[in-house]
Amino acid sequence: MKKENESTNENRRKFLKLGLLAGGTLAVGVAGLEKVLSKEEHSGMDKTVMGNDGKMYKTNSKNLKECCSAPVSNEEARKGIEGKKFVMVFDLSKCDGCKKCTDACQEMHFTELDREWIKVFKMKDSETTAPYYLPKPCFHCDNPPCTKVCPVNATFKRQDGIVLIDNERCIGCRMCMAACPYSTRFFNWSHPVQTPEVAAMKYSPEQGYPRRMGTVEKCDFCPDMLRQGKMPACVSGCPMNVIYFGDQNEDAVTNSSGVTLKLSQLLEDNAGYRLLEDLGTEPRVYYLPPKNRKYPKPEMNSGEKNGHKHKEMDMGNMMM
Amino acid sequence: MENSNISYELEAVREDCLRPTHKWGLVTKIWLGCLFAVAAWGLFAFIFQLRHGLGSTAMRNYVSWGLYISTFVFFIGISHSGTLVSAILRITKQEWRRPITRSAELLTFVSLLFGGIMPIIDLGRPDRLLNLVIYGRVQSPLLWDVISICTYFTGSTVFLFLPMIPDMALCRDRLIICDTKFKKFRKWLYTFLALGWTGTKNQWHILEKVMTVMTIVIIPVAVSVHTVVSYIFAMTLRPGWDSTVFGPYFVAGALYSGSAGVILGMAFFRKAYHLEKYITPRHFDLMGRIVLALTLIYAYLNLNEYWIPAYKMATHEGFLLKDLFFGSYSGVFWTLQFGSVLLPIIIMANPKGRQILPLSITCIIIVIGAWIKRYIIVVPTLLHPYMPIQEVPADWSSYFPNWVEWSVTMGCLSGIFIVITLFSKLFPMMAVWEVEEGVEIEHDRKAILEIKNKREAEKRLRTEASVN
Amino acid sequence: MKTYKIIFRSIALTLSLIVICLVCSTAQNQNEPKEKMNTSIQISFHKNSELSKMIAVKITAKTKDNKREPAQNAHVNFYAQNNVGQKNIGTCITNNEGKAEMVLSKDLPIDTGMSYHIVAKIENDEMYNNSDEEIHFKEANISVKLNATDTNRIVTATVMALGNDGKEKPVKDIAVKFYIKRMFGIMPAAEDNVLNTDENGIAAFNYPKEIPGGSTGSIIVIAKIEDNEVFGTVEANSEVKWGNVIASEKNPFPRALWEPYAPPSLILVFVILFGGVWSTYLYIFYNMFKIKKDKGLEQRELEEMIKQ
Repeated sequence: MKKENESTNENRRKFLKLGLLAGGTLAVGVAGLEKVLSKEEHSGMDKTVMGNDGKMYKTNSKNLKECCSAPVSNEEARKGIEGKKFVMVFDLSKCDGCKKCTDACQEMHFTELDREWIKVFKMKDSETTAPYYLPKPCFHCDNPPCTKVCPVNATFKRQDGIVLIDNERCIGCRMCMAACPYSTRFFNWSHPVQTPEVAAMKYSPEQGYPRRMGTVEKCDFCPDMLRQGKMPACVSGCPMNVIYFGDQNEDAVTNSSGVTLKLSQLLEDNAGYRLLEDLGTEPRVYYLPPKNRKYPKPEMNSGEKNGHKHKEMDMGNMMM
Repeated sequence: MENSNISYELEAVREDCLRPTHKWGLVTKIWLGCLFAVAAWGLFAFIFQLRHGLGSTAMRNYVSWGLYISTFVFFIGISHSGTLVSAILRITKQEWRRPITRSAELLTFVSLLFGGIMPIIDLGRPDRLLNLVIYGRVQSPLLWDVISICTYFTGSTVFLFLPMIPDMALCRDRLIICDTKFKKFRKWLYTFLALGWTGTKNQWHILEKVMTVMTIVIIPVAVSVHTVVSYIFAMTLRPGWDSTVFGPYFVAGALYSGSAGVILGMAFFRKAYHLEKYITPRHFDLMGRIVLALTLIYAYLNLNEYWIPAYKMATHEGFLLKDLFFGSYSGVFWTLQFGSVLLPIIIMANPKGRQILPLSITCIIIVIGAWIKRYIIVVPTLLHPYMPIQEVPADWSSYFPNWVEWSVTMGCLSGIFIVITLFSKLFPMMAVWEVEEGVEIEHDRKAILEIKNKREAEKRLRTEASVN
Repeated sequence: MKTYKIIFRSIALTLSLIVICLVCSTAQNQNEPKEKMNTSIQISFHKNSELSKMIAVKITAKTKDNKREPAQNAHVNFYAQNNVGQKNIGTCITNNEGKAEMVLSKDLPIDTGMSYHIVAKIENDEMYNNSDEEIHFKEANISVKLNATDTNRIVTATVMALGNDGKEKPVKDIAVKFYIKRMFGIMPAAEDNVLNTDENGIAAFNYPKEIPGGSTGSIIVIAKIEDNEVFGTVEANSEVKWGNVIASEKNPFPRALWEPYAPPSLILVFVILFGGVWSTYLYIFYNMFKIKKDKGLEQRELEEMIKQ
């Protein structure tokens, strides 16, 4: 009788242990699985598109792009589009600092969010002058300090005025970054964060991706879109119609609403100027001064008035 | 009698010079052991950096050049030591240079070797180094850097090697009678490097001709090297680097820190290898005067570099200068100006300050100060660009080197010491034939003086006798 | 023993039930039906230079927090209405800007008064509530002619529309705008580029001087009726070689400091300096070689002395 009791006790303990263990593992396992499944991927939403066969397909917007043409060869990328000389004009009186241009650019080029190829600055030139927003892309200068100092011709100026970087030749010496007075260039310090689809794409200097570690990158005026007759992502993405883009040879610039104006007239009527003109870099980007501004001026913290104490980027809100 | 005296002296010279090459004491072994440990750790850190990219350093998009480039400029600066001492003192026929030329030339060779490696360590894609050769652009200051450093390195190797040829022959011939380690290897090495030197008149003639040519050529090469190194900064449009005086400023800084490095080399080898008879306090006094002169020139250029923009306080230079004079870098900046420029001047102006110990300590201050000064030239300028630094990640807007950068830099520094130590264990640290030459010249000079005095004494006796 | 078994089994059952409930609730969370949004449709008619006609809709939706957003992925059905009834002519889906375009075929049913009546409807859409909007329009034709006299260049736009009797009649007093086609958009041909047609339906515009054309000087001039109540938007163009020729660059990559190839003066200086120093080095290497070869000389000298 005692032996039976003992054995049953043992069996009981065994069962209880096993049961609790099984139940616990199941609960933990499901919770873990749930966490894994609900982990949000890179931003992008479900989209329904029509395929070439006329059927509807559901896919993620990250896989869609405005233009998906095959990238051009390295030689073509170095030559550029013949007969064009691209310029950009920013109408600062319309800029409200919303940074939609930055968002459009980052989405188009699969850029990491701390890298702003077009960056919106809050500028205050001196104590007594007014603050204003200044979106600054790369200026694709005509006397570029960056291409002068590149030892391997990895950054080059094309006949259409665009300055590009060839990330298959760049040795990562960062001399161009030291030389650029507009702080326009960014460096891939570590392994680039990009999805496997982007990493598998064929590289062209006109796209700027897939990125390579140890190379330099910057705004490129979206030459792959220009070849298709579309305007750069920032221009189309600006909801305030601040950015005009066009061909200087044609003497016309267009903004995101399609308003096309004569470039020389626009600059003359609005006293267009270029940034840091005295440095002699001959930028291809013009600014129309923020006269009769439509939106409130930026709030500057006291340190920023001297230009060099600043608010840090809020990395917590970004998905990297 | 006099002849045997001099041959004893010459033999003593040879003994003293060659003794270190066949002694491997415990101290040497511990010293080398520590250096190898540091170098191995540096290598590990470098491999870590290769795997994880330059992001493993503290450099970010604003301070895109940091400790590596500062150290590069510093090492190239130190490399001006050999040129100064050897070439300039040779040309001006200063006899007292003889015991110190070899250690100065060695310092140049080694600091160029590791200085040339630093930019490669700093590259984002060192695997694409050959692109410099295949696609090189002659308009780029960085390519000028590469070419001039290679040229100077070749020149200083030749300049180090040429006076070593007779010494190699001496080592080769003496190897049979002395008892050292690695005899077979040494036999091969000395024979190979001696180039079949047998001391014929013709060979001496060729050697002297070539040494003169090299002495003359190496001086403009050395000046051009540091000028070109300054161009990687001065050819940019940054406030703080956009200065016309950068070329002479860097050359003056190089000469002043290089000559301080020579003194440290002198002091070290004098102590370690018991060369007190050859490297005398007089050498320190004379070198001290040279360092003093160079420090004054450097101080003058330093003053120009800061006072001129400070007077004008143009907007962006103003931000940078305010930071240097009153802001976050002010402590370092003023300590450097007073501690490593003004203080050495005061010490070295005093003859007592040019004695061996105070001079050595001053030179340590100068060398370390020069290194920190290079850092002050590179980093604060990068933190004050024309466009304000706004809304960027926190680690972009400040910089201090992290463990990877320190480890690799210390690894290179210990590499320098390793090469110097191994060299001094294989080859004599004084140019034996030059010192012998010096002894002979001194002997001849004394003998001539004795004869002169004798004749004058005889003359006086005769005239006195004729008067009487 | 039996009781313990029962207790254990009940515990296991409850645990698994809890787990299943958790899974279901999370699954359910993901499958919650979304509230449908209200939409408003803007509808317009376009006829472009290639004579293709289409109806464009721009749909905005009101979100939960009363914000207006473009209505993406909305299924829009189009119907042509006339006195006979409604005929379905197609379906479109709006893009991420809430816009969709429906191309009209040539045999569109005509309503009274030689006009067309199109209705755009959102019905049975997953995300949006039903709504509709209609448009009435007539079709107009513009023809563009270009005349160059000695002093002037004139662009003539003639606007015709089908009258009630089915014949083409000129349309008078309608605003026509003149544009020049540029790479990314159309530029007003002059500051004041709007002209009204006269009783013959003709608007004559002075072509401004000094407009850059391509490498052949060709310009595309566009005459456009914009957002007219009756006719919608109608466009026509014509190509002419009135533009200033943009000469192609003879040498797009001249030798310069910032170009791949350096200016000759720089190359010359470089060759002189580099060549000068390295030729000196070569001379020294040659002499070092001579030193090496010289080792037998002393022996020979001794031998010669012995001979003498």
